[in-house]
Amino acid sequence: MTLAASNLTIERKDEFYLNNISFEMSPGKIYTIIGRTLSGKTTLLKTIAGLISQDSGKLTFNGNDFDIIPVWKRQVAMVYQQFINYPHLNVFENIAFPLKQRKLGKEEINDRVKQAIEQVGLVGFEGRKIQALSGGQQQRVALARSLVKNANILLLDEPLVNLDYKLREQLREEFKKIFSSKASEEAILIYTTTDPVEAMQLGGEVIVMDEGKILQQGSAKEIYENPITTKVAEITNDPAMNLFKGEIKGKKIKLNSKIELSLPKHFKDLTDGHYTFGIRASGITLAKSGFPFQIELAEISGSETFLHLGQGQVHVVGLLDAVKNFDIGETVSVIFDIEKLYAFGSDGILMSSPYSGTK
Amino acid sequence: MNFKHKYLFLLPGLLVLLGILIFPIGFTVRLSLSSWDSFFPGLDFIGLENYTRLFTDDPRFWESFQRLSFLSVTTVFLQYTIGFALAHIVWKEILFQRFFRVLFLIPMMTTPVIMTVIWKTVFHESLGPVNDFFSLFGVTPLWLSSEALSKVTVIIVEVWQWTPFMFLLLLAGLLSLPKEPFLAASIDGAGPIRKFVYVTFPLMAPISIGAIIIRLIEASKIMDTVYVLTSGGPGTSSETSSFYIFIKGLREFQFGYSAALSLTYLIIMIISLTIIAKMLVKLMIRS
Amino acid sequence: MRIFYVTLKYTAVTLWSMFIIAPFLWALSTSFKDFNSVTGGATYIPWVDFEPTLEGWRVLLRSPAQGGVNIVEPYLNSIFVTCMASFVSIVLGTLAAYALSRFTFKAGFIKNDDITFFFISQRIMPPVVLAIPFFIMLGKLGLLDTLLGLVMVYVVLLMPIAVWIMVDFFNKVPIEIDETALIDGCNPYQAFFKVVLPNSIPGMVVAGLFCMIFGWTDFFFAFILTFTEVQLLPVAIVSLNSSITPWWSLSAAALVSVAPLVVVAFIVERYLSKGNLSGALK
Repeated sequence: MTLAASNLTIERKDEFYLNNISFEMSPGKIYTIIGRTLSGKTTLLKTIAGLISQDSGKLTFNGNDFDIIPVWKRQVAMVYQQFINYPHLNVFENIAFPLKQRKLGKEEINDRVKQAIEQVGLVGFEGRKIQALSGGQQQRVALARSLVKNANILLLDEPLVNLDYKLREQLREEFKKIFSSKASEEAILIYTTTDPVEAMQLGGEVIVMDEGKILQQGSAKEIYENPITTKVAEITNDPAMNLFKGEIKGKKIKLNSKIELSLPKHFKDLTDGHYTFGIRASGITLAKSGFPFQIELAEISGSETFLHLGQGQVHVVGLLDAVKNFDIGETVSVIFDIEKLYAFGSDGILMSSPYSGTK
Repeated sequence: MNFKHKYLFLLPGLLVLLGILIFPIGFTVRLSLSSWDSFFPGLDFIGLENYTRLFTDDPRFWESFQRLSFLSVTTVFLQYTIGFALAHIVWKEILFQRFFRVLFLIPMMTTPVIMTVIWKTVFHESLGPVNDFFSLFGVTPLWLSSEALSKVTVIIVEVWQWTPFMFLLLLAGLLSLPKEPFLAASIDGAGPIRKFVYVTFPLMAPISIGAIIIRLIEASKIMDTVYVLTSGGPGTSSETSSFYIFIKGLREFQFGYSAALSLTYLIIMIISLTIIAKMLVKLMIRS
Repeated sequence: MRIFYVTLKYTAVTLWSMFIIAPFLWALSTSFKDFNSVTGGATYIPWVDFEPTLEGWRVLLRSPAQGGVNIVEPYLNSIFVTCMASFVSIVLGTLAAYALSRFTFKAGFIKNDDITFFFISQRIMPPVVLAIPFFIMLGKLGLLDTLLGLVMVYVVLLMPIAVWIMVDFFNKVPIEIDETALIDGCNPYQAFFKVVLPNSIPGMVVAGLFCMIFGWTDFFFAFILTFTEVQLLPVAIVSLNSSITPWWSLSAAALVSVAPLVVVAFIVERYLSKGNLSGALK
């Protein structure tokens, strides 16, 4: 029961929507595709569903050619980021629709729809019109409709992106629970998102996409620890990983004429020369006897404050573990936690990470 | 989305339309190359003779065309201005809102030719109420039989008949506008006039263009009104292109020649409407 | 300033309302007149200005043999032709509009937009251009002066309207709804009939109303393509307008012909206020 793609490509007017996509996915797992808007996530899901056909490449399911099976005969389910339901049907009828389409018996339909409604927490709403539901409830209906089919492949295209923050957190937890029970039923789950936090929280396998290409695939931990390129490091961190050019010379890292850091242990095998260095916001904070930076912007987020800092050509985002107000232009003292530094080659490829040392 | 049976959706309509139209259009083209008239009915072939006559020796056609341009541009302009004003008024809170909305729609629901018959009695020069009113001031304008006024009468009736259509399209457009820009303008302290100039009008531009084009297309067919009110008269002073083609074809039975007129007219219409559409887009988007 | 604006507003709607109602009131008053009260100059109020009579209304129901005009049959003919042509136009127009909105067509340089334009451009054609060839074609087919022939011609007149409104409507229905139906096991036909169509009723109602309005109010084709067997209402009424115009029966007939479409005006307004029309027009 594996879904395999080899060299899927879709190209329109010299622009790649999918560029040589290959993967193998097996049931019982969540695959989270992370990528920015227009990176090809939705196109990939629609290709798997059969709504779009690729220009070249092949999709197989269980070793059988998947491309010759039309959408309506593939055992897939999909939830869109817009809340898509059938406006002329009520909640119950919406969820029962795919089962009726399969001509199942009335009792079986009733049982399965009831079960799905319980799973997504919509008991009591069976007779409601779709328009009379809130956004979150509408998305629950869409999820229930995709669960009720027991599809082999469940596609979720940024299902939470149009919900407000609190609801998103809450639904994500619920989704995780539902998925873990669902996953044990031998379905392949594919979930797309632009949000690194979401990708990390869902666990499972993470696939990083950009401009129609797969940049990296691996466990959430692996990608967090060792993003193989600067691009991946940007996409999979929020705020994006700070990247700046610098030079290793002797036992020092020179960022500009004023900032010099000492060389961390995991950099010891790097030869002298120019690199791109990376560090997460959490590796930059305020402390005495640091480097002078100007505050460009301070954003308070929950119990933390994100600081946009600048000095000459170097602009970074740092994190303060407290809530504090700053004046724009104010000079502060900034320190870099050198144990959290990444080094990338001039071609953007990871050379050294705090977690696995130098390659 | 794509699938192989997509033609089953498109073709029934397309084929029916083509099926009904292919003969008329083909036949008109062939007819325009013949001299078919009531004396010598038959499809002989005279080449482009009809077209030569039309371009070199028929000032009446070109005059009717000018008149049509004048009449349709004037009526559509009036319809647009009045229609927009009315739509704007009943768009907002007003007493008896629904009553006015329904009332303002009614004229477009009436058959133009029938209402024109009624209008003809209204404008009757000796027995109608309009001149009954004007006689209080000692004048009796010749609404139907003077060269200048008969055009005004046609315009009044056309405005009565079709402003509602403009009103409908524009009101539907106003009701579909997003609320945010208006809120933003209110917060910025914009008064009603500034709001209209900087928010409503620009937002309505695409809808306005659509409505004006549709009305120009329909107005260029002015026919029923002229036929009943003035029969193109006095003389040829209120004759429009459609009406002239009608006279040549169905009164004088010069089928061949009227076919040539029709095709020429059609081509000019398509070209000029395309140009007008492009110009309007430029004009309204810029402002 | 505000008072000035409000006064202006109410003055404008009042004046315009009077302009709209005036011909109807005049027709209503005239329909109760007879020869003497018409030829004596303009009169307005029954019993005061003139002695009312029901003659104008009675003529409409009398057979021609008794000197009447009998508009019942033309009335039914008009309803039949308008409804049939609207129905055919909506069915074919909706299918075509769905195809044009959802699928990609390409034949040489012709693309979806060009096909849509072809449909809509039929409205540019002035009736006179088509009248003569239609006359000859229907004559050859033996459909001149028949209801079927008229329905055919009216379909050409109305289908562009249906396509215009429905293409716009479908373009606003998210394609994800169709896709979800396909994913839920519908083939494309089932997706259209089970999911898209039930959600397109507002658009179809609006398209239907427009077809009815333009069908009901056409005069020219009915005038050219029928003689004695089949008469439509506008032709019947205008034919009253002979050498001596019977203002009274003409007025009564005009009012009768307007009546059913006033109902349509109410329905259109309802759709307008509910916001359905904004989605379906534009």
